[in-house]
Formats: sequence, structure tokens, C-alpha cells
Amino acid sequence: MLKRKPLYSTLLYLAVICLVVYLIAPFLWLIIMSFSSANDLTQKPLRWIPSKLDFSSYKDLLTMGINSRGELFVNALRNSLTTAFIAVFVSLLVTIPASWVLSRYPGKKSWVLTTAIFTFMLPPVAYALPLYRMLTRMGWLDNSVSLALVYCTIVLPFCVWLIKANIDSIPYELEESAIIDGAGITKRILLVVMPLLLPALGTVSLLALIMAWDEYFYALLFTSSKEAITLPVVIANLASGRQSNYNLIAAGGVIASTPPVLIGVLFQRALIRGLVQGGVKE
Amino acid sequence: MVTKGTRWYSLLLAPMMLVMGAVIGWPLIQTFVLSFTDSQLMDASQPTFVGFQNFIAGFKNQGFHDALKVSALFALVVVSSEMVLGTGVALLLNEPFRGRNVVRALLILPWAVPTTVNAIMWRLIYNPEYGALNSLLFQLGFIEKYISWLGSADKALGSVMFADVWKNFSLVAMIALASLQSLPDSQIEAAKIDGANALQRFRYITLPHLIPSLQVALVLRIIEAVKVFDIIYVMTKGGPANKTRSGSIFVYQEAFTNSRMGSGAAYAIIMVCLIMILIAFYLRGISRKEN
Repeated sequence: MLKRKPLYSTLLYLAVICLVVYLIAPFLWLIIMSFSSANDLTQKPLRWIPSKLDFSSYKDLLTMGINSRGELFVNALRNSLTTAFIAVFVSLLVTIPASWVLSRYPGKKSWVLTTAIFTFMLPPVAYALPLYRMLTRMGWLDNSVSLALVYCTIVLPFCVWLIKANIDSIPYELEESAIIDGAGITKRILLVVMPLLLPALGTVSLLALIMAWDEYFYALLFTSSKEAITLPVVIANLASGRQSNYNLIAAGGVIASTPPVLIGVLFQRALIRGLVQGGVKE
Repeated sequence: MVTKGTRWYSLLLAPMMLVMGAVIGWPLIQTFVLSFTDSQLMDASQPTFVGFQNFIAGFKNQGFHDALKVSALFALVVVSSEMVLGTGVALLLNEPFRGRNVVRALLILPWAVPTTVNAIMWRLIYNPEYGALNSLLFQLGFIEKYISWLGSADKALGSVMFADVWKNFSLVAMIALASLQSLPDSQIEAAKIDGANALQRFRYITLPHLIPSLQVALVLRIIEAVKVFDIIYVMTKGGPANKTRSGSIFVYQEAFTNSRMGSGAAYAIIMVCLIMILIAFYLRGISRKEN
């Protein structure tokens, strides 16, 4: 390798340091705030390093008492998980067979794929009003299952887009030899395509889970109590209150970020490959 | 033409089409129908048909014009900043240096932080009394007195945009970096031997290789940015003085705060049409390039 000029190296490392500070400083500060006492965070000038580690905000949010903040928060945590898993499960269940048809018989019903991708681009406000009326009329507001079904508007188009691109990359010859051996459609999908699709399905599910975990708009509209309210709504409500429990807000944020950040760190490569694949193929 | 095969395929497509019809198709049609009525949020009585009244009022409404301008400005500034910053960072992280893998791994952090958490995080940082930003700038001597970042009409939108760029530039950077890593070293080496300088190598080899994946990132980001709701709503609720009220927030307020469903639906339909025009322009741009 060529020896680099010292000026170049200096500039390079300077840029890298700036980048690292930019990447971690805001979130690091959120973590520090979450371990500070409320008193430390309302000093002027600000105390950058807490006088002592204070875990009370985490304890506050994660202890279940009747009608306490902890009860709402823990319920929201559970609801967020339930809603995200149901939405992704339903989406995968219906998109896998459909994606197979769209991939293997591109001429047939290609409008289905176009429609799916198109809906990905529309603002949720375009569906929210009738959905709200329908859920009210049926008494399905504030319900994790109906919220999960509504989440399919976001998750499903995304899944078809990526899963179809992934089936495209599985050679059709494999299925042809299965046909010669007398395999029907069910066997072709379950025994030939599925095993090869599994890694990609893992990636797509993780991306879709993060997507559903992140959703705020529908949850804000359709949930109101501990029965179905999700974490983003609870956190936004915490922050919009008049009181200055900054450490509590920060702790809520850190807890809500933990699952997606862990998934991100553990599966970074696969996630990026999954995201890029869908688009570049076209 | 109904053969045995076709029936099979339809059967496999049917569950997905059923779900799409229920949660996407049917509501969209209903929104369209609602937009021609004076339907109210809490009123169960039969709404009356009012023709194009909602649309005429909508086109004239100055507040809606302003909201669309906020959405357009937000999308333009945020997406272009993210593209430039993301590409720059990807090029930086493609250079060899000590600790590169750690920095690459850190890149996923902003993307993985949920949007609402990002919003409250920056709200805390921007806090006019106890926020870290004011304190930092004050202690470094850059400002004389604390600034209300989200509370002043001329700074609020910029502050929200800054928060959005922090979260979403990382997606662009990761996509661009993945593409750079798939560029074979031999191409760059060959260009070096032919005497191309760094700028020429970037212009004629790296950039053309990057463009397809940058396009994917661009489309993903524009789609998200024009329908922006959550980050703005959590940070400012559209205020102060509606300076950060985006199109989506406007529709939400019209339908759910002012309880005017019919009129809200008409605004939603107008937004959908504008986004469709945007998509059409994009598709035309692509097909022209290919010819």
C-alpha cells in the first residue's frame, strides 16, 4: 500500500472524530440523562456528569403498581411487542405465497405488485379517517389485534416488495427439476423455495418489526388506554407533559430504543443487504 | 381464460389481496366518498353530499397552502442534506483507517433509534431552560442568552429538520457504503495507472457505480419526507404559529381536532393527488434516462 501524506491522515482522522461525536453524542446524552437525578438536570449551568447514578427513573417506569406510571409503561411495552409481531406474522403469511406467484409468473396480475408499491408511497392520513370510523362502529378501537391489522397497510407492501425481489434471485431451474420429480405447487414452495428464502425472510421480518415498533400515527389515533396503547405514544405523552421529569422521559426513550438498536447492531450487514436488494434489482 | 393453473395462482394471491382490500383499498375509496360530504367526526347522522365544496374551500385555504409549503420545504432540505451528508460519510468510511469497523457499526445507531424517541431526545436537547444545546453554546461563549429553539417561529422548522437529518442520513450512508464496498479495487487501480487523479476517479468510476443505490435511498427518503407527521408532531405539534405544520398534520387537525371528516378527507385526497404527480414525474425521469 502507498504511504499516505501526513496532512491527508490528519484531515481523515479529524473528520472521523467529528463523525463519531455527531453519531453518538445525542444518544449518549439521552443515556446520561436517564441515569441522572431530576435535580441534576435542572441546574444552571447544566451538570454534564451526574452527581450520582440514579436508577429511580427506570425503577419508576418498570414497576407495576395499580394505576401507576409503571403499569402504563409496562403494558405499552407488551402492547408494542404484541402489535408488531401480529402485524409482521399476518403480513408474511399472506405475502409469501403471493410474492411467489408475482415472481414466477410476472405477466399475471403485475398490477398487484404495482398497487402494493404505490400504497407504500401514500400518506397514512389517506386511510386513517375511514379506518377510524370503521373501528369505532365495530367497537374495535383500543385493541392490539385491530391495530396490528391496520399496521399491515405499512408492513405488507414493504414485505411484498422485498420478498418478491428475493424469490427472483432463487433459480427457477431448481423448481423445474422438482416438477419433473412430480412436485405440486405446495411442495415447490415449501420444500424448494422456502429453505432458500429463510435467511432473507429473517431479514425482512426484522426490518418489518422495527418498522412496526416505530409506528406512531395510527397508534395515536386508535389507542387510548393500557389495553392497546403502544410505546411511542406513551413516550410522546410523557414528553408533552408540563412537569420536568427529564430523566424519566430519557429513560423511556432508552428502553424503547433498546430492541431496535440491539437488532441493528447484531444484524447490521443482513439488514442493509435486505434494504438495498429490493430497490437495485428493478 | 380460466385454466386449472390460473385458479391455483389466484388462490395463492387471494389472501394478500383480501388484506390489502380491507385495510388499503376500501378505506381509500371511503376517503374519496367522504371528501364529497360534510361528515363530522362525532355525528352519527347521515352526512349530506356537498359536491366539490370541500375541494374548492381547500384550494382557497391559505393555511393548507402554507402546510403544503412546509412539507415541500421539509422534504427538499432534509432529503438533500441527508443525501450529501450520507454520501460524504460513506466515502469517508470507505477509506482505510484505524477503528474503521467500529465506526461503521456505530453508523446504524441513528437509524435504529425510533422516530418518536429521536423526537423527544432532540426536544430535551433543545429545551429552552435546561437543554444541553443552550448550555453547551453558552458555556463555549457562542451565545449570550438561552434560545428557545422550538418555540421561536424562525428557528423551529430548522431545528426539527436538524433532528430528522441526524436520524436518517445514516440510512443513506449505509446504503451508499454497501455499494462502495461492492466496487472492485481493480477498477480504481487501473484508473490510477492510466493517470486519473482523485477527482476524475470519483467522477468517472465511483459516482456512476454509486448512482443506482443512491437512487434507491433517494426514493425511500422522499416517500417518507413528503408525508412527514410523527417527528414534527412530537416535537412541536405543528407550532409555533403553525410554522412547522406539515400537510399530514394539517389533515389530522382538520379531521380529528376540528372534527370535520369530510373536509379532512378532501385535503387528504388533494395530498394523494400531489404525491401521485410527484411519482409520475419520477417515473418519467427514469424512463427518459433509460431511452
